[in-house]
Amino acid sequence: MARKRERAGWVFVAPNVVAVGVFLLFPLGFSLYLSFYSWDLFRPMRFVGVENYRRLVGADPLFLIALRNSAVFTVLTLVPTVVIGLGIAAALNRKLAGIGIFRTVAFLPLVASTVAMAVVWRFIFTDDGVLDIGLAWVGVGPVPWLTDPELALVSLSVVTVWKSVPFATVILLAAMQGVPEPLYEAAKIDGAGALRRFSAITLPLIRGPLSFVFVITIINSVQAFDQVYALTGSNGGPETGTYLLGIMLFQHAFGFYEVGYASALAWVIFAILLVLTMVQLWFARREAVDL
Amino acid sequence: MVRRVLRGVGIYAVLMGIAWCALAPILWALSGSLKRSGEIAEQTLLPASPQWSNYGRVFDLLPLGRMLVNTAVYAVCVTAGQVFFCSLAGYAFARLRFRGREVLFVAYLGTLMVPLTVTVIPQFLLMRALGWVDTPWAMIVPGLFGSAFGTYLMRQFFYTLPMELEEAAILDGCSTWQVYWRVLLPHTRPALMVLAVLTWITVWNDFLWPLVMIQRNEIATATLGLVRLQGQYHTQWPILMAASMVILLPLLLVYAIAQRAFVRGIAMSGLGGR
Repeated sequence: MARKRERAGWVFVAPNVVAVGVFLLFPLGFSLYLSFYSWDLFRPMRFVGVENYRRLVGADPLFLIALRNSAVFTVLTLVPTVVIGLGIAAALNRKLAGIGIFRTVAFLPLVASTVAMAVVWRFIFTDDGVLDIGLAWVGVGPVPWLTDPELALVSLSVVTVWKSVPFATVILLAAMQGVPEPLYEAAKIDGAGALRRFSAITLPLIRGPLSFVFVITIINSVQAFDQVYALTGSNGGPETGTYLLGIMLFQHAFGFYEVGYASALAWVIFAILLVLTMVQLWFARREAVDL
Repeated sequence: MVRRVLRGVGIYAVLMGIAWCALAPILWALSGSLKRSGEIAEQTLLPASPQWSNYGRVFDLLPLGRMLVNTAVYAVCVTAGQVFFCSLAGYAFARLRFRGREVLFVAYLGTLMVPLTVTVIPQFLLMRALGWVDTPWAMIVPGLFGSAFGTYLMRQFFYTLPMELEEAAILDGCSTWQVYWRVLLPHTRPALMVLAVLTWITVWNDFLWPLVMIQRNEIATATLGLVRLQGQYHTQWPILMAASMVILLPLLLVYAIAQRAFVRGIAMSGLGGR
């Protein structure tokens, strides 16, 4: 019987393991292999060693631009997502009549397609669009949301924040609901105000999920592609205003057919994400020990 | 007393504000989709006379109906495959002892970290080698046999089921397959719902993969169609907004119905989108 169950175990996981191996692990390894070759998909592959990486880091000014843009974009997205997400989660973490409806509506952007929403936001950002008219009421002139290279990155992060706040909120709200009620009551009796209760009880107790939200938001921002493509096009314009790492990867792989070079870029992105995740986990753990 | 009322009003005002921020872009798109071209620059939420024909024009300009059907077919296939193979593997990881299980499972968790951007190039090459580029196979097969994420989700759920369920069935002489299929699977319906809804949404909204894989409009997905339409009619806002609404609405309806399962799924799995 036990042996039968052992064999069944392997049979049951086999389709899944094979699929993950073929469609995920093998491509992962293969992209590392490709990153040491020069290949245009048609002529034979040529081994070039670390040349792709050297060109990327040393000789490609566009890489530095993409890196800088991605870094700025990540900060512009991460900070508002976490702050607004925390605020909204706190607001929704109440027992009130009709709170279910407010939660349902607030989480709505979660299911909305990123591409479709980016197109919708392009409409909102148009010259004399709804946003400019609203700003005109308070005396601010028309803003070149998508045509000014510097501002386009800000506009891009507005769209991304709109889309990613609900995700942060769901995670943080679930965590907040796990905080034991008596803790708050005890603090209330001791005379702690709402803000003090939030910073002394809620925040430390949801540190794990909070750090998770950090990691996921960073991963999504560094890889951002869908919204960039739909909002400002496949070239990362205006000029190089929204030229992010994801756009650069796409351009080299599927525009210029520089498969090896794009693979090297992919692994650099992967390495950046790994390092950021490690740093984040390290911080989370260290702070947990301090507690 | 007055203070308490004021506080209540304040809280509801904040909640209304939050709800408005989430809804406003969608409402604005809906409004824009019903306007005349000349009316677009006017800041009225309600169009003077709703142009429902804008929706008809979208379907004339683009085989959007076909694309929606394509997307639904891909989503049905991938969802069915994910639900079946992930629950099967999840059950094995949670309940069956077999050699190498722990090592394999840790490797699985590791693959959750791998972003699509790193693997998309070799995945494309693999599809090309198989001759699946620009065919529906590329959209269906990679997800059909399950994923590390779905397996992890199902395993966590199988763990929470009481051992007695299984023991009684084994004493009654059920085979391992019968234990899984007849006894345990019916109890995992909540988790299956979560996985199904998450998979459906992922496939419906997917963009990078169809962009790389699909050329022909006859087998394209709806998101791909929208971007192509945007490329051709980039200033025809009523048309573009109507197309966006056509893509958004089905999921918004699904969300309205399956909202609980969905939100719990996100919170449980801690995974939003890819």
